[in-house]
Amino acid sequence: MPQVKIIAKNFMDMVASLTARDLDRLYENPFICEAIVRSLPPLAKKYVLQMLYIDGSVPAKMMEEWVLPDGFTKHRVAIDRLVQLRIFSEEKKKEITYRLNSTFQTNLRKHLIYGGALPREPMPPGITARLPSLEELEAYALGQWECFLLQLISSAQAEKPTNFSSSMMKIFQRGLLTQRDKEAPRLTESGFQFLLMDTNAQLWYIVREYISNSQERGVNQADLISFLLELSFHVAGEAYNINTVNDLQRSMIKDFADLGLVKLQQGRKESWFIPTKLATNLSVSLTDSSGRKEGFVVVETNFRMYAYSTSKLHTEILRLFSRVEYQLPNLIVGAITKESLYNAFENGITSEQIISFLQQNAHPRVAEKIPSVPENVCDQIRLWESDLNRVEMTPGYYYDEFPSRDVFEAACDYARDRSGLLWEDSKKMRLVVKAEVHMHMREFLRGQNK
Amino acid sequence: MDHHHHKSQYRGDKGRPSKKPKFSSKDEYRGKFVEDDDAYYNEDTEDDYRDGEGEEKKRDFSKLELKPDHPNRPLWACADGRIFLETFSPLYKQAYDFLIAIAEPVCRPESMHEYNLTPHSLYAAVSVGLETETIISVLNKLSKTKLPREMIDFIHASTANYGKVKLVLKKNRYLVESPFPEVLKRLLQDEVISKARIATENSHGSDGFTISKAAGEIATGHDGLLNEAELAAAAEEKETHSFEIDPSQVENVKQRCLPNALNYPMLEEYDFRNDNVNPDLNMELKPHAQPRPYQEKSLSKMFGNGRARSGIIVLPCGAGKSLVGVSAACRIKKSCLCLATNAVSVDQWAFQFKLWSTIQDDHICRFTSDSKERFRGNAGVVVTTYNMVAFGGKRSEESEKIIEEIRNREWGLLLMDEVHVVPAHMFRKVISLTKSHCKLGLTATLVREDERITDLNFLIGPKLYEANWLDLVKGGFIANVQCAEVWCPMTKEFFAEYLKKENSKKKQALYVMNPNKFRACEFLIRFHEQQRGDKIIVFADNLFALTEYAMKLRKPMIYGATSHVERTKILQAFKCSREVNTIFLSKVGDNSIDIPEANVIIQISSHAGSRRQEAQRLGRILRAKGKLEDRMAGGKEEYNAFFYSLVSTDTQEMFYSTKRQQFLIDQGYSFKVITSLPPPDTGADLSYHRLDEQLALLSKVLSAGDDAVGLEQLEEDADDIALHKARRMAGSMSAMSGAHGMVYMEYSTGKKHGQGMNKSKPKDPSKRHYLFKRRYG
Repeated sequence: MPQVKIIAKNFMDMVASLTARDLDRLYENPFICEAIVRSLPPLAKKYVLQMLYIDGSVPAKMMEEWVLPDGFTKHRVAIDRLVQLRIFSEEKKKEITYRLNSTFQTNLRKHLIYGGALPREPMPPGITARLPSLEELEAYALGQWECFLLQLISSAQAEKPTNFSSSMMKIFQRGLLTQRDKEAPRLTESGFQFLLMDTNAQLWYIVREYISNSQERGVNQADLISFLLELSFHVAGEAYNINTVNDLQRSMIKDFADLGLVKLQQGRKESWFIPTKLATNLSVSLTDSSGRKEGFVVVETNFRMYAYSTSKLHTEILRLFSRVEYQLPNLIVGAITKESLYNAFENGITSEQIISFLQQNAHPRVAEKIPSVPENVCDQIRLWESDLNRVEMTPGYYYDEFPSRDVFEAACDYARDRSGLLWEDSKKMRLVVKAEVHMHMREFLRGQNK
Repeated sequence: MDHHHHKSQYRGDKGRPSKKPKFSSKDEYRGKFVEDDDAYYNEDTEDDYRDGEGEEKKRDFSKLELKPDHPNRPLWACADGRIFLETFSPLYKQAYDFLIAIAEPVCRPESMHEYNLTPHSLYAAVSVGLETETIISVLNKLSKTKLPREMIDFIHASTANYGKVKLVLKKNRYLVESPFPEVLKRLLQDEVISKARIATENSHGSDGFTISKAAGEIATGHDGLLNEAELAAAAEEKETHSFEIDPSQVENVKQRCLPNALNYPMLEEYDFRNDNVNPDLNMELKPHAQPRPYQEKSLSKMFGNGRARSGIIVLPCGAGKSLVGVSAACRIKKSCLCLATNAVSVDQWAFQFKLWSTIQDDHICRFTSDSKERFRGNAGVVVTTYNMVAFGGKRSEESEKIIEEIRNREWGLLLMDEVHVVPAHMFRKVISLTKSHCKLGLTATLVREDERITDLNFLIGPKLYEANWLDLVKGGFIANVQCAEVWCPMTKEFFAEYLKKENSKKKQALYVMNPNKFRACEFLIRFHEQQRGDKIIVFADNLFALTEYAMKLRKPMIYGATSHVERTKILQAFKCSREVNTIFLSKVGDNSIDIPEANVIIQISSHAGSRRQEAQRLGRILRAKGKLEDRMAGGKEEYNAFFYSLVSTDTQEMFYSTKRQQFLIDQGYSFKVITSLPPPDTGADLSYHRLDEQLALLSKVLSAGDDAVGLEQLEEDADDIALHKARRMAGSMSAMSGAHGMVYMEYSTGKKHGQGMNKSKPKDPSKRHYLFKRRYG
């Protein structure tokens, strides 16, 4: 993946950023306590279990002795995580000590002894109609997600609008699109990077926006997070009765359906939702889920580009820097032209982003070749970009009609001393100074005038 | 870009907004170029897939239905006639042979080919014996999707009339032949045709047509694509109907059948085996002449049904076009008239005939202004130029006699070389002056900037075969050329003059004489002569530049006014002498001068945006050299030929160069851009290092007359005239003639940096030379 500037931290980071009160509320649910433990780094997991039945606090020094010297970094990471999540509370008196969050501790103990179960169980097969197979479900989820993305980047392209309100959509688009007056919105640089990220990373970005703006919609973040966490421990492909969720959660479920996290179905009497892989993968940290997707783009030495894809979204992505010429059922044909690239550069997309996109998505046919994108094409893309940088713009101010040569020369010297003299024509007594110097220059000349 | 230079008047410190002189430098710059380009260059049709985005909507064919087993099928076909072919499909070879027969290749790089179905390409398909239904059913089998209705309709509409009527010269009678009597009836309703008809006694059938049986097409190359029933149908003998026409009316009848009139274009075939009237010529291919698979294939298209078809065969330069021509003549075994573009290539053709065939020396003769030979016996081969035959002025008595013989003879084969360069009116003349049973056109690049290709289709015949350049490179049949575009920044002083209005006629001279370009050229010559022991051709269209470069670098040169004797002498020295490793050629060298030794081309000036010239020049070094295994991918000489195009940045040349390369790029070649030549660490040892030298050069360019710095005009350049319609420079030939013979003498004298050249070619062990190493980390 290209260097992503958007902070796409994982789900647990989000949890960690909740307020103390919200976190404590979250830990009132024993199921969530388990979910949190599961998500912890291995060493942190061990510390939690080790301290589960210790009621007092444990000195940091002592804990450090538990690890071998070369495991110290891991130890630090684990401790930091636990403190962040307020599972450990740090006390600094004579020495630093740690103790387990008491709500968390009590609930986890209970959970260990009495066992835990989801708030809801999958519906028995008899009640539901035929459920989609896992493949169908995955196709559905990706379809939904793509549809959402299309609407996100260009609402005209989406086949069916989602339920998201336009204000919600605007929130999602914030940072990804810019709109100059009266023009159609355009992708920003980070918008382009967003499109180049893998689905899980994109999904996380959107979910994060969704969560962090929940307050404005009158929804408690902790409720939202706890429900998402719950969801991530459901089984993909199983049907869950919609009656088992409260009103607030029901409205969330609708939004999740738009994102492809769940599929909604209705039987004769009952309605149910089916979590998809997108939902169950949500709490898995980003690094774990980077299953390499197979590439689909072939770039030829003649700047023609063939993308094996059925995706409208791909068409839109390619359109950002190439001229799409043919759309076939499973192939998109485009040409990388100077014009199309200038367009991309103007939108803040860099040649390196384009090249790395082409390389990372190279079709298996050409992916093993070195280079996977023809050298002459890469070179040309870079050359076209550098061609744009040959003219440097410096805002400046133009002065003429000096009363005397002395004043002109003094002005030149003044500007030169401040390294603000851009151009001078001593014959006709004209000069241009940098914009920064303009105010000083004006003052200076006013002084000369007296 | 809103950095307006606000005008702030002295004293008036209100900083009042001025008229905002906008700094839209980029647009201005482009705008200016476009103006000039229009004057120079008018080529916008044909390359329809590169035009604007307005038509984008129409090209959404995503609703076509994919067949369930689509991954196993190699192509997509679009309603507008565009076809995409995966070259990595197991069915690629069969699909390629089929597509090249029915469609026009648009581009053929490594992984994906594009083709266009056009009326002409379908005409060609029909004329090599493919039938409408076969075309549709094979295409359908190869297609990943169901064929679009529009395409099926288009094939039907385009082939409805094509190939239905044939013009056959049988026992010296011209017969109009067709399997469809109703078509003949329709033709006879035309006044011209019905008048031209000669009634015959032994005709039978209700319409008075002669009925005979003809062998069906033996389908070649499409094995496995046709099912048995279709094969059986193709092989079945077909009844044909015919009527005879007056030999003197042949041209008129053909004319009436063209698409703009009755629209039944006639295919011409020659039943040479049954020609008892014209005497046979005893010639066979020598045993060592082994046609390569693609040569064999092109011949099979020509002789597919036992007769000889007229048409054009397209093979890259260096791929052995002459062997195809000689083979065709050997199969027909009748008198053959071979037309070339100039005297040098007449010599080369005569040589090729003797090299590949068993023809006796007294049965082949050359007819040029310098050599007027005549063959003995009643059949033979005459090699001459288009000009000699089409010449309208007064001839010597001897020439007149020969030309009479050429006109009166009935030629079995009219073999035409480099058909892309000959102007259409000259073709008309040649074809109407000479009576031939079969016409075979040969060319490497079926592109012309004057869009006269369609004329060729009807004057000679359809394209019979076209080879794929990359496949030939992969097969080791032609050289694997590394192409590079070298960007030479204009020096400050030259660029300032270049931009001046009063120098508008010297623009070309200025960007060609750009000292940085000269130095890059000098560097490359040195590098290839000394480091690799290569043989180099430097091309310049601009005679002023050609002369300046050649004189300064002390190298021999050939241009339009160089006599035949001198040319031969220089070429001989280049071929044999270790002292002469670089020659300078004007555009006389673009075509048909065979210089198999050369493996490096440096192009310092060229002809506006001519794609054909670029391809032809590249063709000079395509002849494969060295051992086959060395040339294959990964071999130690994977790239053993180099093509450099030197362009001065920020000038018209940049624009032209993109246009020029298009043909080659479509064939799968790629141009690497080199931005720093000569390398920064060299310099002082190359010419024009010092500013005063550069300025002296500049004043030389500026003081030369406008006509002296223009382009060379050659008689055979109809195509170029079309390119340069708006701004043709006259008088350059005369300006250049005379004293310049001295340039040619130069090569034998001075040779200061001769060391290292006497060794046999030192081969660089690394596969790529360092100029082509990656520039970016």
